[in-house]
Amino acid sequence: MAGLLALPAALAYGEEPIKIPGKRAMLLHNDRPEDLETPLEYFNTWITPNDVFFVRQHLPRPKTDEATHRIAVSGRVNKEMELSVEDLRKLPQYTVAATLECTGNARGLFRPRVPGIQWGRGAIGNAEWSGPRLSDVLKLAGADGNASWVTVNGADVGVAKTPDFIRSFKMEKALHPATLLALQMNGQPLPDLHGFPVRLVVPGWDGTSWVKWVTTLSIANEPDTGFFMNPAYRFPKHAVPPGTGANPADLEIIEAMPVKSYITSPADQDRIGLAPTVLRGIAWAGEQRVSRVEVSTDAGRHWTDARLSPKNLPFAWRLWSLEWTPQQAGYFVILSRATDTAGNVQPIAATWNPSGYLYNAIDQVGVTVEKQA
Amino acid sequence: MRAATAALIAVALAAPALAVDPSIAQGGKQELQRACVPCHSLRLVESQRLSAAAWGKELDKMQRWGAIIKDRQVLLDYLSREYPDTKPVPQPEHSGDGTKASTQSH
Repeated sequence: MAGLLALPAALAYGEEPIKIPGKRAMLLHNDRPEDLETPLEYFNTWITPNDVFFVRQHLPRPKTDEATHRIAVSGRVNKEMELSVEDLRKLPQYTVAATLECTGNARGLFRPRVPGIQWGRGAIGNAEWSGPRLSDVLKLAGADGNASWVTVNGADVGVAKTPDFIRSFKMEKALHPATLLALQMNGQPLPDLHGFPVRLVVPGWDGTSWVKWVTTLSIANEPDTGFFMNPAYRFPKHAVPPGTGANPADLEIIEAMPVKSYITSPADQDRIGLAPTVLRGIAWAGEQRVSRVEVSTDAGRHWTDARLSPKNLPFAWRLWSLEWTPQQAGYFVILSRATDTAGNVQPIAATWNPSGYLYNAIDQVGVTVEKQA
Repeated sequence: MRAATAALIAVALAAPALAVDPSIAQGGKQELQRACVPCHSLRLVESQRLSAAAWGKELDKMQRWGAIIKDRQVLLDYLSREYPDTKPVPQPEHSGDGTKASTQSH
């Protein structure tokens, strides 16, 4: 017992809830390092506030200092260089609204269960990100635009022999005008947990690509070969029977996130009165745009088009709403399904995969409608 | 009679727990603390529900990543028994409000 007490993380499990500085009450999946899920009630607004935005960390959060922080650019460049945060501020600044979704969002809904954080539906948020374009930084260093890959590392390092969190992505996406080295999130300096002082913003792509605490950019003709590029964060080209592994040769790097929608109000298992009500939700579609959200209030027998909010930006989710007048009291299963501009429709069942990525099945809540007294 | 029946029920209810030698369970728990906690919180482990085979793969991965597991079999047995894929996952706890942390520290 004394041995147990000597360990650092017999850390408060119990009495006082753990507080994460800068965050309101979050669903706590892991406190060391912090993996925090946003409670669904915060998804009724277009912007997800910083203090409830979800957090995913693979490695312990590094201590970073804005004054000494540098980004080194190397590899296939005309001149290797190091940029300070001040250098980044001198470049033209852009703001991009983009939805950030963890690659494993809603992993906890897959059956059979797969290892990994058992996220519910809240490993997602929508924010306005500001900073220079990654392409402007690459231009400064004279990066070879014909090189195929940009590899990005952050200041976080693995404990023991845990591999470093390094990600590579295609030059085409690196040069996209919406791909930023963000210094701000919703008009505030990036919070520590979100990559202070600078993180990558890769709109439409999985959260794993959005490297935090960026320290190096290297230009090459090959991607990094570390664990976090292969086998992690890959998806089987062909569906496999649930509970089985995938052929490594069939695994492909995940890039854009798929089309998806949520019902955010009422919440699952709410009780509401027998009266006209407004169903609300959100929908997003990776690199596509949402073109349609359909809602069913009778478990999928009939579907009605919801109204989409007029704000229709690439990469950012859209709010939807639908007036609904229940005809009688009782229990109702409400479903939502989104369609994107490429014609992709949310499936009835998500494709099971060994690591639990890209869950995007039709959303469902159950609601009890009660006669009012 | 009633007391006797109650005692029998109590024994019957306790039986599954007694099937596992408490000292072995204690050993598994200690190994879990010792091997896993240096790198991450136990929430990460205790929220998983996996088959014994899948737990074995997780231990393989963690050993490759530097976890020092002294008694692998004890740990594997413990994880497979405590966190099997047949058991439901509890809802994660809520963290406290950390936006007020500085004002509440005293």
